[in-house]
Amino acid sequence: MDEESPYLIETLTIMKSTVLILALFAAPIALTAPAQLGSLSSHAKPASYVAYTDLPQTVAANRRSTLEVHFRVLPGYHVNSHTPTEQFLIPTALTVPAAAGVKPGEPAYPAGQPYSFSFDPKNKLSVYAGDFIVKLPVTAAPGAHSIDASLRYQACNNASCFPPKTLPAKISFTAK
Amino acid sequence: MLRKALLLLTLTAGLVLVVFAGIRNHRDRVRAAEAARANRVDLVKDNAPIVSPNVDESMRGKPAPNFSLVDLSGKKVTLADFKGHPLVLNFWGTYCDPCKIEMPWLEALSKKYAPQGFDVIGVTYDAEVGKAKISKATQELGVTYPILLSDSKIEDAYLNNVEVLPVSFWVDRNGKVVNVTAGLSDDDTKAKNALEAQVQQTIAAD
Repeated sequence: MDEESPYLIETLTIMKSTVLILALFAAPIALTAPAQLGSLSSHAKPASYVAYTDLPQTVAANRRSTLEVHFRVLPGYHVNSHTPTEQFLIPTALTVPAAAGVKPGEPAYPAGQPYSFSFDPKNKLSVYAGDFIVKLPVTAAPGAHSIDASLRYQACNNASCFPPKTLPAKISFTAK
Repeated sequence: MLRKALLLLTLTAGLVLVVFAGIRNHRDRVRAAEAARANRVDLVKDNAPIVSPNVDESMRGKPAPNFSLVDLSGKKVTLADFKGHPLVLNFWGTYCDPCKIEMPWLEALSKKYAPQGFDVIGVTYDAEVGKAKISKATQELGVTYPILLSDSKIEDAYLNNVEVLPVSFWVDRNGKVVNVTAGLSDDDTKAKNALEAQVQQTIAAD
C-alpha cells in the first residue's frame, strides 16, 4: 500500500493525541515518586560519619516557623540520639548561634531508635542511623538568611567507636 | 460512527492505562517505603557483619615506644616501669561502650594472669573530660589496673592519626609490640575468648 488512507491518518492522529493525554496524566504521577537523597553523601568529608545537606527553605516572615535540618548518618555507623540511655554517652546536639534578623528557638530532635551491640545484647541504646531531621523553630525578618549551625555527635559502628566530631551545618532560608 | 467508536475505545484504553500505571506506581512506592524501613531496621538491629576497624598495624614487631603519663592520682607512670612484663596498653574513652564492655574482662584477665607477670594499662583517650568523670567511670566498671591520662605524645607515637576505640597494643616481656587489635567482635563469649587468646600469645611471645 503506497498511499495512506484518510481513515488511517485519522486513526494515527487520535493515537498520537491519546499518547499526549497519557503523558500529561502520567507526568504528575512520576513526579510524586519518592525523593532521592543520594546527594547527601557527597558532602561527607574524611573521618566524618554524618553528612549534612543545606536544602534551601522558605518560611513566613515575622512569624514563628520551623526549619528542617537534614542529616544522614553514613551507612554502617550510628550516633547517639539527643537523649542517650547512659550518662557517659555524648548526645547529638545542634548548636545554633545568633544570626542577623533571625530569632532561633530550641531545636526539636527525633526520638532515637533502639540499638544493642552484638556483644552486649541486654543493653539498649538510643541512636540515630540513616537519615534524621532536626526541627528548628525560627522567627525571621523578611529576606534571605543563613545560620552557621553545627552538629556535635559521637559515632560508633558495630565493633568500635570514634571520637566526637563537630559538623558545620549552614542553614539557608528565605523569609517571605 | 466507526470513528466515534474508535475514539471512545482509544480514550477508554488510555484511561485504563493511566489508572493501571497509577496503581502500579502507588504499589511500587509502598514497596520502596517498606524496603527502606526494613533496611533502616536491619542497620540498627546489628544484622550487618562486624566491621573490621582500620588500625595502623605498622607497629607490629617493633619496640613499643616509651611514654611518660600521669595516672588518676597524679603519679607519673612510664612504660619502663613495666620492664620485663608482658602487657597490654589499652586505649579507651568514657563515651565508648565497646571499651567499657571489654574493660571488666581485661580486669579479670589481669588478675588471672598476674602470676605470669601480665599487666594491663588503660590509657584514657578523652582525658579532657577530667579525672572526676574518668574515676567515676572506672569505679563503676570495677577496674583496678592503672588508668593513665593520654597526651598528644603517646597518641602520635602509637595511634598515628587512627582514632578508633578501643585499640590495644600487645607488648611482650622484651618490650616488642606483638599485636595491635581494635574493636570487639561477634558475641560476648567469642570476644572474651579472643581477648584471653591475645593475653596468652603475648605471655608466650619471646
